[in-house]
Amino acid sequence: MIEVQIFFYFGIFLAIVGSIATAWGPGVNDPIIRTFNTEMASIGVCLVLLCYNHVLALLTLLATTVIITLILFRAIIRLEEMGADV
Amino acid sequence: MVFIPPFVPDAFLSMYLPAIYAGLIVGFIGTMAIALKREEIHILILTDLVGLAMIFVVSAVGTDLAEALILPGLVVELAETLAISEILITREMRIIEQDPRRNLSKSSSLFPQPFALNMEIMTTAPNFIALVLVGYGIFLTGFTGGAVAGGGIVLYALSKKARGLPVLVLDGVAGVSGIAWCLWIIGFLLFFVTPQYWLLSLFLAACGLLLKVASKVGLIGLLMREDLDKE
Repeated sequence: MIEVQIFFYFGIFLAIVGSIATAWGPGVNDPIIRTFNTEMASIGVCLVLLCYNHVLALLTLLATTVIITLILFRAIIRLEEMGADV
Repeated sequence: MVFIPPFVPDAFLSMYLPAIYAGLIVGFIGTMAIALKREEIHILILTDLVGLAMIFVVSAVGTDLAEALILPGLVVELAETLAISEILITREMRIIEQDPRRNLSKSSSLFPQPFALNMEIMTTAPNFIALVLVGYGIFLTGFTGGAVAGGGIVLYALSKKARGLPVLVLDGVAGVSGIAWCLWIIGFLLFFVTPQYWLLSLFLAACGLLLKVASKVGLIGLLMREDLDKE
């Protein structure tokens, strides 16, 4: 029987490593790579919410992550095609 | 003295301190990276990390209160990201207008090529899925139902627009939002004035929230419309 605590600590590990990768990881000067690295931290948060039985919060986190990714991609593409320094 | 409610499970108590510390570490990393960066779009992406740290700290409470606090936090974060990205784009457009020598290059969009495929499933399946989503959202009511129904509306608009068909534009979405606020406030008032009608006021509040969230998610779909308008 696998303990719930394993998923909890793995979620914390993923969140911390994901946030470090978002902040100082390889190739993060490209904003698209930085956005993808944010997903790793959010998967860690999903695992933690799963351990706490927060189903509604988990579903809302998934939905808002998708919408925020779309909004960020739209902003990045718009800014790049206008020639801003991103 | 620390007050712990009796309905918090023992397993959550042992998970409290690690979750708080993880939230603090993630928040520290996010704010340090924000302080070191200068480009605004990078700062906007890093704001996500601080939001995740907020979720960590709130979820460490471990009861239904945590769930009730995470939902508005996420939605506020979504609205904030939307608003700040709009501000960034508008400011960049203003810079271009002041300097007319820099012409806009030939633009690309989020969905570069319109679908020209003429298959039956392209016309029937999105309609059916959108109908099921909106129906299930109305059945759920409340916050979740609003999100599901709004997702159905967005899917319908996107699937029609991606094939180059005109979309029915509903004016007065802001009016629906106002009506939803009124329903919510009336429901809240009835809770205190006549507590014996609690079921009625609960449903007033739930339906108001359904309209509000669904129209908000639909608004995001409308905002994406200008990207999809290109041939």
